[in-house]
Amino acid sequence: MVSSNSSETLNDPSVETIDYYKHLSLFWTDIIHLMSSKPQALTSIGPMRAFAANSKKISVELIEINEKLFEFNKYMTEYYNQLSTTWGIAQKKVNLKVPEIPQDVEQIESVKRIWIDIFDNDFTELFDSKKFGDNYGNLVSKELELTKHWNNITNVILQSVNLPSKEEIDEVYKEIHSLKKRVSKLELKLKKEKRKNAE
Amino acid sequence: MLSESNVDPKVIEEILKFSKNVIDAPKLVSAPDEINLEVTPHEVVQEIDKTRLLHYKPLVETKYKTPLLISYALINRYHILDIHPEKSWVKNLLEQGFEVYMLDWGTPTSMDKYLDFDDYVNGYLDASVEFIKNQTSTENISLQGYCTGATIATAYTALHPENVKNYVATAPVIDGWKDTTVISNLAKHMDADKMVDIIGNMPPEFMYYCFSVLKPFEQGIEKYIKFFKNIDDKKYVDNFLRVEKWLGDTPPIPGELFKQWIKDIYQKNLLIQNQMYVGDELVNLKNIDMPMFTQVAVGDHLVSPECSMPLHYAVGSEDKILKIYPTGHVGMIASSLSQKKVLPEMGKWLAERS
Repeated sequence: MVSSNSSETLNDPSVETIDYYKHLSLFWTDIIHLMSSKPQALTSIGPMRAFAANSKKISVELIEINEKLFEFNKYMTEYYNQLSTTWGIAQKKVNLKVPEIPQDVEQIESVKRIWIDIFDNDFTELFDSKKFGDNYGNLVSKELELTKHWNNITNVILQSVNLPSKEEIDEVYKEIHSLKKRVSKLELKLKKEKRKNAE
Repeated sequence: MLSESNVDPKVIEEILKFSKNVIDAPKLVSAPDEINLEVTPHEVVQEIDKTRLLHYKPLVETKYKTPLLISYALINRYHILDIHPEKSWVKNLLEQGFEVYMLDWGTPTSMDKYLDFDDYVNGYLDASVEFIKNQTSTENISLQGYCTGATIATAYTALHPENVKNYVATAPVIDGWKDTTVISNLAKHMDADKMVDIIGNMPPEFMYYCFSVLKPFEQGIEKYIKFFKNIDDKKYVDNFLRVEKWLGDTPPIPGELFKQWIKDIYQKNLLIQNQMYVGDELVNLKNIDMPMFTQVAVGDHLVSPECSMPLHYAVGSEDKILKIYPTGHVGMIASSLSQKKVLPEMGKWLAERS
């Protein structure tokens, strides 16, 4: 069974259940990987061998994506909750200001103006608040973590077919950037000196 | 039942007219893709990486010796300064007799994710200034920065004061802690390190999100209702579509530059405290000692006046002026007010010093 030393984890049945299934999934992935890797090595050649060896990494990423999705959904729910609560409050304010259904063009126009002003004010107040900023920051952060796992899976696949990973390409970009910077600074310095000498 | 209704027949008439306008719209107006945003003739005089230095062809005889270089923002593209013949910032300055250059930052790709403030300030902007000095045989130039382009221009002016004869800061992003806009709230809660580490450049989709939270109902609903209501008004429609096309076209921001931007300007607020580094050089705003003109808009919901105005008080210049205009962020540069008031005032100020 899964081992958990944290008392908080022990007291939380939902965490226990997630850990149990995580353990279960990893156990079978490992066992199947170990069982299948040798016959696979015999029967496969070239890049598919590497892919088989990396299958565990992909499984781990997928399990972690599931965990992150849980947290992502929590912040996403709060995001939509904040939007819908603000909408409800703004609509109530509009209803108080406009108790009767408008009948002519001028009335409709002024009701529309009131509606837009109240909604823009209330939503701007929300977007400007700390609670929105905090939740939105967390939501984006979780979305980025999901992207990171997706990148990791892509990297495993790329490496299995002997292509450079995102990190390796980034290293090349960094090197090119550094070289270009040095060259352009030297060029600029040279131009300035030439100009100085010409004067 | 219908005959007993109290609804004004004009309401029905308005609804029918509006529906007809929506149906007729594609026959009456061009698709945004078909609109050419290049208004004033210019030539590309220098290209470095993705950046281009544009030189606008004179419309009248050039009256002033000192050329003007405009450092446009990093969000959207430079076209807003030349959006329409009647509202063109560039055209107006050319007609006043100035020689005008514009720095187009281009469209960064994944390969450009390591470009930082140093590359923009001491690389692209400095190379443009040097090119102009060389071409025009002048010792220094007039520099104008708009929005985030003014932050870059401010850092440049502080680091290379000998190259800038006059500095115009239009809605500059300077004091991140004082900024009261929604953008500032989002920026303060952003994990820029994580974002750049995982996705590299700041994607345009994220910029669209940030813009969509600014006056969402006025900008997201009312604006389009007005557009369809005025579909017969050629002038209005042409201007509307030009601005819409400009709004919808924003390049990604290089990752390292974005990271430094969010952390140093909005989160740590280093620039106004003279603690920001560009490359390995400390930016001291007191080094800005040439004549300086700061332009802010009281209704700016992208860069609040509180964020821009501290620059006026932080610099070392003795000859400086701060003007507050009754308009918004875009209204200050592309409106009838900018043509009638903002540009003539700036032109007069520059002319006396050029």
